[in-house]
Amino acid sequence: MRKISAFLSMLVFAFVLSQTAFGQVKILPLNIKQRTLPNGLKVVSLRDNSSPTVSVHVWYNVGSKDDPQGRSGFAHMFEHMMFKSTKNMKSEMMDRLTEDVGGYNNASTWDDFTNYYEVIPSNYLETLLWAEGDRMVNLNVDEKNFNSERDVVKEEFRQRILANPYGMLFGQYLEKLSFTTHPYKRPGIGNLDELNAATPQDANEFYQMFYRPDNAYLIVVGDFNQAQFDAWTNKYFGKISRPTDAVGRVTQNEPDRTAEKRHMMTAPNVPFPAVAITYLAPVSKSADVPALRIAETILAGGESSRLYQELVYKQQIAQEAAFTADIRVDRGLLYFYAIASEGKTPEELEKSLLAELTKIQSSPVTINELAKAKNQLITRTLQEREQNDGKAIAIERAVAYMGNPNAVNTDIQKLQAVTIADVQRVMKKYFTDKNRVVIYYQQEAQKQ
Amino acid sequence: MIKMENGKWKMENKLKKSLSLCVSAVIFLSFAFSVFAQETPPKPSAPKIVKVPVVKEKKLANGLTVAVVERKNVPLVTVQLLVKSGASSEQMTQAGLANMTASLLTKGTKTRNATEIAELMEFLGGSINTGAGWNSSSVTVNIMSDKLQQAMGVMSDVVLNPTFKQEELDLLKSQTLDNLVYNLKQPGFLANYVASRYSFSEHPAGGTPASIENISQVDIIAFHKNNFNPQNAVLIFTGDITAVQANALAQKFFGNWKKPESIASRKKNLSVIQVEPRQTMPKRILVVDLPNSGQASVNYLNRVFVGRSGRDFYPASVLNSVLGGGYSARLNQEIRIKRGLSYGAGSSFAWRTNETNFGTRTQTKNESAAEVAELVLAEVRKLTDSSVSSDELSPRKLVLTGDFGRDLETTQGLAGAVSELYSFDIPTSELNAYMKNVQTVSDAQIRDFAKGNILGGDLVIVGDYAIFKDDLKKRFPNRQIDVIKADELDLSKTNLRK
Repeated sequence: MRKISAFLSMLVFAFVLSQTAFGQVKILPLNIKQRTLPNGLKVVSLRDNSSPTVSVHVWYNVGSKDDPQGRSGFAHMFEHMMFKSTKNMKSEMMDRLTEDVGGYNNASTWDDFTNYYEVIPSNYLETLLWAEGDRMVNLNVDEKNFNSERDVVKEEFRQRILANPYGMLFGQYLEKLSFTTHPYKRPGIGNLDELNAATPQDANEFYQMFYRPDNAYLIVVGDFNQAQFDAWTNKYFGKISRPTDAVGRVTQNEPDRTAEKRHMMTAPNVPFPAVAITYLAPVSKSADVPALRIAETILAGGESSRLYQELVYKQQIAQEAAFTADIRVDRGLLYFYAIASEGKTPEELEKSLLAELTKIQSSPVTINELAKAKNQLITRTLQEREQNDGKAIAIERAVAYMGNPNAVNTDIQKLQAVTIADVQRVMKKYFTDKNRVVIYYQQEAQKQ
Repeated sequence: MIKMENGKWKMENKLKKSLSLCVSAVIFLSFAFSVFAQETPPKPSAPKIVKVPVVKEKKLANGLTVAVVERKNVPLVTVQLLVKSGASSEQMTQAGLANMTASLLTKGTKTRNATEIAELMEFLGGSINTGAGWNSSSVTVNIMSDKLQQAMGVMSDVVLNPTFKQEELDLLKSQTLDNLVYNLKQPGFLANYVASRYSFSEHPAGGTPASIENISQVDIIAFHKNNFNPQNAVLIFTGDITAVQANALAQKFFGNWKKPESIASRKKNLSVIQVEPRQTMPKRILVVDLPNSGQASVNYLNRVFVGRSGRDFYPASVLNSVLGGGYSARLNQEIRIKRGLSYGAGSSFAWRTNETNFGTRTQTKNESAAEVAELVLAEVRKLTDSSVSSDELSPRKLVLTGDFGRDLETTQGLAGAVSELYSFDIPTSELNAYMKNVQTVSDAQIRDFAKGNILGGDLVIVGDYAIFKDDLKKRFPNRQIDVIKADELDLSKTNLRK
């Protein structure tokens, strides 16, 4: 194997850098409008008539971390129920109003929030505002739908967790073994036993507690008339009353880790061993997050990244090697993972991953690596902004993780401001020996 | 290979389709409500027209076609070089050759090694992706428009001057083999893999363990020499660029690409096979036994003797939208929505020049594999013996035109749509005809297409056979069930066994 270095090409970049580090491409701020209805619903809108479509998002401040006790997976299963009948809509009518007119809808449940969204021809905006308003307050949970949707979620569990060789590692063990106290320790997909235990009564209580105007954002991006949109919002959401009780919130804090922990896990049909090494992350509003994002890109963004070059390309011990900053509202995870190449061991993976950690902690990243990471993040932002829905997602992320839709216009500046020293500082701060959990994941012993 | 978004194990309600423009259409929604107190949804206002862009085309002196679609809303450009040869140009014994050739393009040129290529493209914030499908191969760059010059330099270098070094081939082979071992543990992948041979008489485009081992540096160099030339290629630009700028860049970076000494004629499959109606349902039943599999994959597969450029494309596409294209299509209605037997069920046509692969797919718990198989077959049969009402048909057409319009919203989606037409030698004016052609498909055309084409295919189930064996035999009495153990599978053998 010839010797290849990621840093050989420095000379080539001297030229490139002079042209691109202060590139002409600018990310224009999103000119969002905000208001709050008397019932507490926050409304964010952004007009863009470059296509005759509109993206409607309703974001609820409830996620898998809010699953009731003994009901792991419930927030996600409840999300499925939101497509069933309401006082004014038959089951699946959301599909009639979106898919059947050439649009689409979906929803997703995250650790910290749940979103419901539609992209539709813009002449259907009023119809969808009516429908979203209706399911915010008029949901019917009937037993038959509840049982059928529970079966769907169980199949989703089997497909994601059981049929995928690495499903148990990434969808179960990673969280179960990384958190001790915070509800993040319960995987959002749940498990078959706790899904079986859930009842329609649980669903009604959950709906009353979390699905309400003062716990939601309406985010609309696309082709609309502002005055008309505001009037429709008043008409279809303004009439929903604000409950008097407080929204239940997670109060547990994940404590600092005090010593390294190691786990050996197995599953059937695992073709190659894998390793995950996790560290507790700062909360999403921490000023350290932008530097961690840059570090994430330097370590794992593309084939020129450090982990790919070292573990996959040069040492050839891994078929995949990555680092993820899984930043959440409360303390999330910073984790390395690698999947072994044929014949390689988890011990080899762990050693090489930790060697890369030591390298980025002990010597500064280069000016080229920093510029490259920023260019990659700018391109990703531009790609996201090609469509109305991408812009709505970006606003939603600002709401979810910064508690403020305006962060959509400041996050990119914060990334641009990250320095080489910042990267080194955060890599030393969070990646300590006592903050480490190591998980080995391998094929279980064959049954006799 | 493990797909996660933003590092989250995000759970979506529905299997995701391609992201996002919706097509307005005149549709009258009637909502029949019986309960007096119910509200009815407000009616839509007048629809707006979706603009489908125009493709500007030019040919360079060396025969390279240049196609440009301007779209100025975001400072991004996608450049795709389409080469009109793919896995159909390789033999079973070398399955995976087209894909490996494409993958190795970015792994070294006369003046840059693999690391330098990745480093330069990623430094520019862009990406360069290469790959091969059944009909074509491609090199695709997505980049900020102010960095396009530099990216084009790399792109032309990897297409014109690749070195295909032995050590890079060795690494790619071991990565491809590892990836195969991983994929062959997944019931859904395994079903498609075996079906390529069993039901479609093709080979898996990604290769088999034996065929990957078999591919040499000489084979790769020859595949590149025979297929990568300007007369067999189209250079497509979409996004923040004018036709004048694009043509100048094409001339600068691909103008010196030499014509081949002799023009290798494109592999043409001229067989026009007249098939008699195939009514046995299913024709054959194959089980691939994967012990401890977390689910069973249930598939119905059939070779269809129609091609992408023929007039059956539109009836077939609308039929697919009714049967299994999208969330509310019949398969998902019956299997997921009504019965909770799966997270999702669907169908698709993998278009070829003359003969096309039709398949349905879904995953369910092993216990319900046979029940789901019956439901799938019943839905396929139903298309041949009963009509599709206009209440059902109109929305299923809008699903197609809506998806089509949304795909054209991004530079990459636009490049993909243009590229697909070129790969089948279909005029790009078809982009503008697509919506109308979908709208004019009739219920009778769908049923005629179904009767002539979709019956008589194979049922292929991959899962833990011990769990569904008895039920399958009960539901399909007096039928032969062919069972192969997953670890005994060998696609190079006629009986598919090692």
